Amino acid sequence: MRDIALTRARTAGFKLPQLPGVVWMLIAMIAAFSAWTPSFFSLANLTNVALQSSNLAMLALPMTLIVMSEGIDLSVGSTASLVGVMFALVTLGTGSVALGAISGVLTGLLVGLINGWLVAVHALPPFVVTLATLGIVQGASLLIAEGQVTNGLPPVAHWLYDGTVLGVSTPIVGAALTYVLFHRLLYHTRFGGYVFALGGNREALQVSGVGIRRWLIAAYAMGGTFAAFAGLILAARIDGGQPTAAASMEFDAIAAVVVGGTSFDKGKGGLPGTLLGVIAVGVLKNGLNLASVASATQVTMIGLFVILAVLVDGRRRA
Amino acid sequence: MSTTLKVAEMQLSPTAVTAVSRVMVVVLLGIGLTWASDGFFTPANLVSVLRQASLLFLLACGLTLVILAGGLDLSVGANLGLCACLAAAVIKGTGSPLCGALVGVSVGSAIGVVNGLLVTTLRLPAFIATYGMLWILHGLTYAFMAGETIHGFPPGFRYIGGGFLAGVPVPVIVTGLSLLAGTVLLQRTVFGQELYAIGANPVAAFLSGIPVKRRQITVYAVSGAMAGLASLVYLARMNAAEGDIGEPLLMPAIAAVLVGGTALSGGRGSLIGTMVGALLLTLVLNGMNLLGVNANWQPIITGAISLGSLLLERLGAPRRA
Amino acid sequence: MAELNARPAPKTPGSAETRKAPLLELSGITKRFSGVTALDGMSLSLWPGEVHVLMGENGAGKSTLMKVLCGAHEADDGKFFSNGAQVTLGSTGAARALGVSVIFQEFTLVPHLSVARNIFLGREPVVGPLRQLDHRKMHADARRLLDRLAVDLDTRLEVHSLSTAQQQLVEIAKALSVDARILVLDEPTAALSDRESERLFALIRELKARGVAMVYISHRMAEVFSIGDRVTVIRDGKHVATMLPGQTSPDQLVSLMVGRKVDTNYSRSYCHVPGPVVADVRQVVSRTGLRDVSLKVHRGEIVGLTGLVGSGRTELARAVFGADPIESGSIELFGEPAQGGPHQRRALGVALVPESRKTQGLALEHSVHANLMVSALGKHSAAGFLQLRRAARTVQDLIHRLSIATSTAGKAAGKLSGGNQQKIVIGKWLAAQARLYILDEPTRGIDVGAKEEVFRLVDKLVKQGASVLMISSELHEIVQVCDRAYVMREGRIAGHLGRDQLREQAILSLAMNHA
Repeated sequence: MRDIALTRARTAGFKLPQLPGVVWMLIAMIAAFSAWTPSFFSLANLTNVALQSSNLAMLALPMTLIVMSEGIDLSVGSTASLVGVMFALVTLGTGSVALGAISGVLTGLLVGLINGWLVAVHALPPFVVTLATLGIVQGASLLIAEGQVTNGLPPVAHWLYDGTVLGVSTPIVGAALTYVLFHRLLYHTRFGGYVFALGGNREALQVSGVGIRRWLIAAYAMGGTFAAFAGLILAARIDGGQPTAAASMEFDAIAAVVVGGTSFDKGKGGLPGTLLGVIAVGVLKNGLNLASVASATQVTMIGLFVILAVLVDGRRRA
Repeated sequence: MSTTLKVAEMQLSPTAVTAVSRVMVVVLLGIGLTWASDGFFTPANLVSVLRQASLLFLLACGLTLVILAGGLDLSVGANLGLCACLAAAVIKGTGSPLCGALVGVSVGSAIGVVNGLLVTTLRLPAFIATYGMLWILHGLTYAFMAGETIHGFPPGFRYIGGGFLAGVPVPVIVTGLSLLAGTVLLQRTVFGQELYAIGANPVAAFLSGIPVKRRQITVYAVSGAMAGLASLVYLARMNAAEGDIGEPLLMPAIAAVLVGGTALSGGRGSLIGTMVGALLLTLVLNGMNLLGVNANWQPIITGAISLGSLLLERLGAPRRA
Repeated sequence: MAELNARPAPKTPGSAETRKAPLLELSGITKRFSGVTALDGMSLSLWPGEVHVLMGENGAGKSTLMKVLCGAHEADDGKFFSNGAQVTLGSTGAARALGVSVIFQEFTLVPHLSVARNIFLGREPVVGPLRQLDHRKMHADARRLLDRLAVDLDTRLEVHSLSTAQQQLVEIAKALSVDARILVLDEPTAALSDRESERLFALIRELKARGVAMVYISHRMAEVFSIGDRVTVIRDGKHVATMLPGQTSPDQLVSLMVGRKVDTNYSRSYCHVPGPVVADVRQVVSRTGLRDVSLKVHRGEIVGLTGLVGSGRTELARAVFGADPIESGSIELFGEPAQGGPHQRRALGVALVPESRKTQGLALEHSVHANLMVSALGKHSAAGFLQLRRAARTVQDLIHRLSIATSTAGKAAGKLSGGNQQKIVIGKWLAAQARLYILDEPTRGIDVGAKEEVFRLVDKLVKQGASVLMISSELHEIVQVCDRAYVMREGRIAGHLGRDQLREQAILSLAMNHA
């Protein structure tokens, strides 16, 4: 029985020694925050953490694939904001939430495709490309939203955040579906193996006659598309589109991926780890919030975590 | 043989052609803007353009050096922000611009050294190490400022940003000196040539006896110090320090470096190129302002210019083995 | 000596008689690379179920032949026949279609995927409209594949956790899963222990029984006679002989591999009275593979260092130059214990001309001037500032002295020919006034004229008091140029040959453990 569990765990893409890192950190944080702030360990608060984390999960899960392919996408935060703005404008303009949502998702997909095209076809470094598209998308959001009314979404739109599906909050359902989808993709399709190969040994793909570019573009396209979904939920939450709504969310997403154990090379990584990383980031921010720590200091701490996580990962490999 | 020929020999040959074409673009832009807008070719506007380009160059200068040596520093903007806020607080607190300046430059250098250590000794990939630093510094800056603004600096200090010296704006003089010092460093010193060698082929540089790690840490420190210096000039010009002072500066700095012809992979490029790049970018943004284009187009244009430069470089250099 | 191109004696009765034509036949295959002829009318025939050993020195053309077989390089001349019919082998796709699969020493495995997924990468069995992976079938198929090869590996293990030997088995299984009929094995036992080698041989015998043809490239003489059905010797890209092991001997094979006619008129006066010791390496062990290496270099000598690829020569060079750390043992240079890395070595006067000049010795985009000056910047500066005129003079002087063919010193180094590039790499150390030169394959890939110039230069250097440690795979070079030579094998010094004993045959015997 144990052997099967062991090998299942290995097949699932993360090794047991990895697990303690993030898990211990989580346990330590939960313990510390529960002791420090009594209001932490309550159902209401933990539900709140889950709710906040679900949006981040939608950014972090596709980011895992991108990082595994030796890339990175810094533009997902601003993409989510842009999608929120598009969603609000189209919904308010046409009166149709469906149209608004579709235009939002298509926008995200477009940004992702552009990123992918520049990285895969033109072999430009991912960090510079996505840094540039971050700025471009940010500017576009501000332009489009300027002087427009982007508040006051119809109640149907609110369902995206406030509603429930079978008694569970919509965002959490969304995150769960995202996880299931990416889990299926990474571990149960051919494409998943290609993602591992893109980071682990691209020659393996060449030798097997598999196209490298198209799958790289696909990874970035997914990043943009799911950033769009996150953007829709965010817009529902703040009742409108804000050009800076998701600014800096890409940083949290990257932190979650890195803390969860995914490396920037060698095609090592895993979705369970990222999920735990998302929860860890969520717990950290929530706990610090309750302890009245300024959000600026939170950012600093997350930055330190990122550097520590990459360090530890490097040491482990050495 | 004249010494200028020697300098040309030590620089990388094909950049001469592309450098000239970049200068031509700047000139053409200038001509175009003069024709398109009345407000362009006025003393006040030209001075403003020069000042702006100078500030941009100061920040991009250190970044250029790091990239030339094969590295990357995404934290320069945030570095500037933190140094500016710390220096501002010190100036207000002690009333001494000199103390503020010392604090600014030393903090900047210290951050640079940390970056250098992360990348060389701890072997973190440069982009993630400096990206993490970016956020750490942002966080520290915001936490330090706690939403407040520091303003109202002594006129002696403000002179650095807004004053004139022999008819030339002070920032331009500071920039000119930096450009001169930096170019001499790159072209005429052992250190500079070693930087180029490390950027072009770090393995060969190592096997040629160059102490690669030590040089890399130094160049990151220099980049940090330049960010500190730039922060002082910014402070003097804006006459105010806020938590987000550094945020929007990274993209223009990178754009200036890329447009100036410095290769991201290292070993190729120059400070003069970055200066031209800074001028070009500033002219474009200035032109947009004068023509009444919505300010929100600026980050879009900056990003597009960066991507365009990268694509041009990639398409024009397939000879790379 | 008997040269046969006959069919192998069938080991299992009734299998080979039915074959009429070889599975794959190469005839007159020629391949040139910018002036160097790597393969010259090479011929080879492969029959099903035979292990065809390919032997030759370093640089004889084995790796080019491998690349041609797998379709990575297209032959310039010659014909290929598959089962008697002519075919083209110009791409990896064509090679795959013909059933050729090469097992290189660097594996094409994805570290964090399971064994099964690696075997079927790109062809994983899928099921259902959503094309989901059929894990059960994939692992079952993988299991069956491995079982038939008598390999006992859990198919769910991630490849990075396997030993090199196990990874090799997975790589072979991967090749067989695409129905490879011809396997090319490049030094398969190089990284294996004896027991693992035995397991590999068992697998090879199993494959023979199934009719798979194998090209087995190896330097290990014992293997030729234990597992080979036929052996072909290649030399200078040409086919020298093909024989049955039973009809030849190790001595004969060695003599077939060497004995190239010397193509230069170069000669030098050898050093019989060496000066004091300049480099004293004692019992050095390193994580890069050196296992107890000791040697000495005296002033005024050219000491050769040779051995087969992978025997540790470059690693030793790097250790002496400080590029790699050593775990135990000592290195003394010019009487002082050596500290630090290349930076300190340069100051001491030690130089390294690396094996791969393009990737390790030069900044190809930079000018000839910059490359020549890179190790001598300090010597041409005052207070950190470069003395441009002095530097220019040194550069001009070097260009002249070394006859570097370039119109100006500002030309990019990447535009020069291989020979001139090598002169630049040597030149940069001349500029740095080095006293001990470690040269790693200095004449690789350069034309005859340039080779001779390099030799003359090296001779002049030692006559002026410098010392040289020269690594070369070209045995006649070692014999012609060096005062004496060390032969390495598997991380150790296998032997030392003084001037009088220095013969190609002797070197090769030591290198291959057939003394």
